[in-house]
Amino acid sequence: MNIMTGDMGGRGAKRTRTGGTNALGTNSEIGRKLKQYYDTLVSEEVPERFAELLSQLEKAESNQKKD
Amino acid sequence: MAVSAGFKNDLLAAIPSLRAFAMSLSQNADKADDLVQETLVKAWNKHESFQMGTNIKAWLFTILRNEFYSQMRKRGREVQDSDGVMTARLAVHPSQHGVLDLEDFRVALEQLPDDQREAVILIGASGFSYEEAAEICGCAVGTIKSRVSRARARLQDILQIAGEDEFGPDAIDAQVMGSNAA
Repeated sequence: MNIMTGDMGGRGAKRTRTGGTNALGTNSEIGRKLKQYYDTLVSEEVPERFAELLSQLEKAESNQKKD
Repeated sequence: MAVSAGFKNDLLAAIPSLRAFAMSLSQNADKADDLVQETLVKAWNKHESFQMGTNIKAWLFTILRNEFYSQMRKRGREVQDSDGVMTARLAVHPSQHGVLDLEDFRVALEQLPDDQREAVILIGASGFSYEEAAEICGCAVGTIKSRVSRARARLQDILQIAGEDEFGPDAIDAQVMGSNAA
């Protein structure tokens, strides 16, 4: 349907105007949404289980050393 | 050799990013947290293979990614069919004046093939360079660039973004061609 937005279409005509070197940068809507999507995930609260897991691994290791 | 406190703190600090990457790959919160847990255990057990002073986040992302694909293989992966893309096209309304709803974006992202989605996340969101992303994915830099390019075109297509001025295909083509020439 939307063939003209694919990589095969519109080549050349606006080459000088697109200019930017980072097509996923903050100047593009997709770049902005991508960051927004990811930042939402990164800022989610981390469940306790991961810190507990690392403490357990640490404990297991120090017990091993004593043996 | 004992695991240093610094290493443990580095792992703790990386957890939010690891969860975000795992979520981007698996699109499922339970699977994502299982992936992160497995990654932490693996990283802990092979901490000696981590070279101090190198990028621990990239190292951890590599472990997580390998774990993701090995779990997919074990499960007999859920193949993404092209019907999914059509569904997304029907589900997402054309954006007005380039303003997209975040949920529409998430749905569109979900429709990308895994390799394209991970490339676009690593480059466009996690802040890795093309070189780092190539290392994480175990492929050539040019492969990452072409995946990012295809992902971007596909997202534009699914979301029906025109706006060639802002992010036409030329911008990234120039980038890919420029670095190949170097």
